[in-house]
Amino acid sequence: MRERYGPWLMLTPCFIVLFVVGIYPLGYSLWISLNAYHPTNPSFPQGFILFENYVTAFFDERARHALGVTALFTFSSVSLSLVLGMGIALLFNIRLPGVAIARALILIPMLVTPIAVGITWRIMYNPELGVINYLLRLVGLPGQGWLGSMNQALLSVIIVDVWQWTPFMFLILFAGVRSLPKSPFEAAAIDGAARWQTFLYVTLPMMRPVIVLAVLLRAVDSVRTFDQIFMMTRGGPNLVTDLASIYLHRVNFKFFDIGYGAALSWAFLILLLAAVIAFIRYTGFLRRATEAG
Amino acid sequence: MSTERAAHDFPIGLGGAPRSYVMRRTGATVLAASAILLVLTVFLFPYYWMVTSAFKAAGDVTAYPPIWLFEPTLENFRELFEDLGGLEALRNSLIVVGVSTCLALIIGSMAAYALARYDIKGKETIALEILLVRMLPPIVSVIPLFLLAKKFGLFDTYTILIAIYTLMGLPFVVWVMRVFTQEIPRSIEEAALIDGCTRLQVLFRITLPLMLPGLAATVVIVFMFAWNEYLFATMLTSSHAKTLPVVAAVTVKPRAISWGVSSAAGVLMSVPVIVLALLAQRYLVRGLTFGVIKD
Repeated sequence: MRERYGPWLMLTPCFIVLFVVGIYPLGYSLWISLNAYHPTNPSFPQGFILFENYVTAFFDERARHALGVTALFTFSSVSLSLVLGMGIALLFNIRLPGVAIARALILIPMLVTPIAVGITWRIMYNPELGVINYLLRLVGLPGQGWLGSMNQALLSVIIVDVWQWTPFMFLILFAGVRSLPKSPFEAAAIDGAARWQTFLYVTLPMMRPVIVLAVLLRAVDSVRTFDQIFMMTRGGPNLVTDLASIYLHRVNFKFFDIGYGAALSWAFLILLLAAVIAFIRYTGFLRRATEAG
Repeated sequence: MSTERAAHDFPIGLGGAPRSYVMRRTGATVLAASAILLVLTVFLFPYYWMVTSAFKAAGDVTAYPPIWLFEPTLENFRELFEDLGGLEALRNSLIVVGVSTCLALIIGSMAAYALARYDIKGKETIALEILLVRMLPPIVSVIPLFLLAKKFGLFDTYTILIAIYTLMGLPFVVWVMRVFTQEIPRSIEEAALIDGCTRLQVLFRITLPLMLPGLAATVVIVFMFAWNEYLFATMLTSSHAKTLPVVAAVTVKPRAISWGVSSAAGVLMSVPVIVLALLAQRYLVRGLTFGVIKD
């Protein structure tokens, strides 16, 4: 008897938390999304309107724009931090006194509270008094507008994201580099392969599962970035850094259009889920992970 | 064999190698060392800037050109603690994060153990569904949680934040602990069962102590994500249960930042995470990759 019910008993607390804090609020959100729910309107509550919010969302230019910004932000940030993280992982895989300390110190950016990251970079990006423009002027370059400039704001927030999360890429890729077997490299050396050939034809293919996992974890996090951007630009100037999470925040907590916000949230969630599933299918990641586990 | 190896790595001792080889190797080593220093400088500079700004006086922090040598002051921390309620926020953060980390560990470990040790129908699906929680954007669930918290009188309480952070921690705990459990031989547990232990006793007396490295990894990760969390904390509290990130964000006004105080808040928030993470550095990779990648 105990063997039969024991495992379910052990899973119960987990299911309760999952249901009460996770699934139930999401279900509630689904219900709200089918309603006109606008607390600051005089006619509140406004009642059931079926899919009207979703229809509005489909034709919402701002929402489409926010999705585009999110995709661009995520793609740029993830690919840049992947390349940098890979380079740093290979560079730091060297026998030198003190390199172990370097491997620890490089992790600091990913450990700093996102809110503090946003604040610090906003201070450093300040066009008049910031240290970044000071350093640029020191080497004879003109100071830039950074977060306040329509052309540079998105690039500026991407730089911050890359700065914060390259260490995460490094950490995972370095573990991957370390776990590679020695013999293929010896074989490549004996065959007289150049360094870049070894990297392209030996290191990269063997690292593929690790790279796929790192990219997946990073992309899922990058898509929902909020804190840093909220501290730095709040989506401005002129919405060039208006990520989906920032736009959703504005719909809900500035326009108080809760019903519409819920519909947008669900649309976002479904798109996100579709993207993750497509990525997993495409890379065959799940099969590999379950085989390994 | 050892000379063969030397061609791929960068050896520290080079005794016996031909002279030209030594020089080429030394050149490469110097180049690599400089590259490492450059990378470190770029990646650590913003943090250095935050820490020094936190200890600068009000006039020094906004000085242009920036001041590199200055007389350190604790004025920013005093303002943070006394005028902005930093002390209460610190206490709130410690309570909320501490309790939720413990809860996630206990609840998650039990689930992980069940998923690893028993033949449960669809256990892979269960594990995947738990992992999906990690992918949920907070901005999506913050609205319904806000409305429900208001409805059930949980707004601005520890309870609601603890519940949310426990849920946030569960995917990590379940996945990391599941993998660690799978690595512990069943025979040890079976021996204990034969000696008359119950299943729960086996879990708490035999298995958990063997999983201490896994615990260390998950504690750090779960602590980190809860400690740094801002969106739920700011939307679901108003005065009583405010945590540190909320107070830090308040130092940023729409048009101006009090640079010194903001930086002080940043230092106060980041130091515990950095200390913990560096202590458990060996296990960080496994924790962050849900136990999939070993280091």
